[in-house]
Amino acid sequence: MKLTKAQALVLIAISVPVAIELRTVAGFFNVELPLIAVAVIEFLFLALLFVLYGLYGEGSESAA
Amino acid sequence: MATASGGDEFVDKFPDEAAIIKASFLIAFVSLGIGAFFGLIQALHRTNVFRVIDSADYYTVLTGHGVLLAIVFTIFFLCGVFHWAVARSLDRPAESALFSWAWVGLMTTGAVLATVAILGGFVPNLGMSADVLFTFYAPLQAHPIFYIGLAMFIVGTWLAGADWFLSYRAWRQEHPDERIPLQTFMVLTTMIMWYISTLGVAVSVVFFLIPWSLGLIESVNPLLTRTLFWYFGHPIVYFWLMPAYLLWYTVLPKLAGGRLFSDPLARVVFVLFLLLSTPVGIHHQYLDPGIAEGFKFIAMTNTMFLLLPSLLTAFTVVASVEHGARQRGGEGYLRWLGALPWRDPAFTGMALAGAMFAAGGFSGMINAGMNINYLIHNTLWVPGHFHLTVGTAVALTMMAGSYWLVPQVTGRKLYSRPIGLLQVIMWFVGMVFMSNAMHRAGLAGIPRRTAEPQYQNFEFLTPIGSIFELRVQIALGGTLLFLSVVLFLFNILLTSLGEESDRPVDSYLPEPLSGPEGSPRILDNLTMWTGIAAVLVVLAYTLPLAGIIQNGGGLFGGGLPVPATVSAGVDLVLTTVTSAFNTLWGVVA
Repeated sequence: MKLTKAQALVLIAISVPVAIELRTVAGFFNVELPLIAVAVIEFLFLALLFVLYGLYGEGSESAA
Repeated sequence: MATASGGDEFVDKFPDEAAIIKASFLIAFVSLGIGAFFGLIQALHRTNVFRVIDSADYYTVLTGHGVLLAIVFTIFFLCGVFHWAVARSLDRPAESALFSWAWVGLMTTGAVLATVAILGGFVPNLGMSADVLFTFYAPLQAHPIFYIGLAMFIVGTWLAGADWFLSYRAWRQEHPDERIPLQTFMVLTTMIMWYISTLGVAVSVVFFLIPWSLGLIESVNPLLTRTLFWYFGHPIVYFWLMPAYLLWYTVLPKLAGGRLFSDPLARVVFVLFLLLSTPVGIHHQYLDPGIAEGFKFIAMTNTMFLLLPSLLTAFTVVASVEHGARQRGGEGYLRWLGALPWRDPAFTGMALAGAMFAAGGFSGMINAGMNINYLIHNTLWVPGHFHLTVGTAVALTMMAGSYWLVPQVTGRKLYSRPIGLLQVIMWFVGMVFMSNAMHRAGLAGIPRRTAEPQYQNFEFLTPIGSIFELRVQIALGGTLLFLSVVLFLFNILLTSLGEESDRPVDSYLPEPLSGPEGSPRILDNLTMWTGIAAVLVVLAYTLPLAGIIQNGGGLFGGGLPVPATVSAGVDLVLTTVTSAFNTLWGVVA
């Protein structure tokens, strides 16, 4: 299945609440996650999404 | 459910109704623009990021934000949607276009008067202001024009309801044995709920607040006006929500490529809302004196029961959307999500609104619980909650729905779907920041309804992160939300200025998978449901109101600044302390 721009945009939107609440979830396990760590994780997610879009996005040849 | 097929467009079939709907939407969107601008000012001011007004004017801005968005925008929009839904589902125009214009005119005049009174707060020399916040009960007092405007606005909504009931009556005479079409059923049950619940605010405004603001009576019973406000003030939540539900039940499955899962279940949900929406308002008054704990408990129980129709909606709408995705070739446990039409801003906006409503429902359960409410009462948690419900579930659904409805009533193609998509995503992200930070700030104890939420020599503490981060989140969220509204208005404006199209949208609505024939006929007995709803209201409110009037200095407060029950409590404490002191003094002496 191709990853469309709209799907990528929705995934980015959904990642925002997940990133914001990541520290709360980590807190349940007594892990104090600094804000910068959350920013890095979100950045890595966006980078991954960017790569996936390049590989499987609309217009890419490798898309099924 | 009556259907309209492509090529037989709403604007061509019902030109008078389309004009009414366009007028309603226009006023709704103008209110949205002003209200959102006020929201931006508030977000930046409260967080101390950027201040362009004096803190004293914050309350004018706050009142404008609340009234223009939560009353004028939402209700004008829902009137447009309901007018569309009744004409479409009954497949007939309104009985009198003149009557329809009468309620539009009355509501508009009322909204303008109330807005003028609010904006008068910026010009002190004018002697006119209405800095009474959205919750306009005593002891805060507004200029009479504010209350008169609100009264006209409410009467306008009553006439709008009468318009739809007249259409239904005419349809019924021609179709004596048919089931009420689903969309009309939803409109009628919503309006019955609205008639019952607005009695409270009408009595409060007409008999107490207008005479008081005109100086005809010296005082009012503050607890009485407060209780009458909340008698209407919580059901209005469902007046906002039920049009959103109408769109989720009847339009969202179609946009997803499928059909509504169950028409009977949708009817049950709307009947439950009719029964349970009104006898719950006292849950806003857990910390008020003068109301017995037992009645607060009844309000809590009724509120918790209201979770049932919301949960039924969540499962039914998601099932319908999943059905649509599978019709489009979606497979697997979760992979079907990828088959949904995410490019369509109408679908994506409504879907994201529904997802955020789930979070709003959970925080609402906290508000409704008597014991845990004490933790968050009057903190920023509460605005966080209603920015998820009315601010997202309702407002985002209305904006997303506009992308599908405005082309229908204007006969023009949507100007830009990509801008629409960006707009709904931006609203979602902005509201994530804002509501998340508000909920957290509320848990930290930061108060609501104040321009200066900080205290001298006192620091609020958060278990995770810092108050600074929360303030940044609120400011960022408010900015994104405002930009989102600008994009929305830009898109809608250019749509309405565009060239006419033969087929602006596919306006056909498919039949439900399980149709109305599968539901008991008693569900259509609106007289009976109205009677039961009235009985529940009498049970929940008669004794509390009698107690408030008896103990609060009568209907007009008897000149008392506060309810008598508070004075009695203070007297009791004073007597006890004095006698204890005398006893102690006797022992010492």
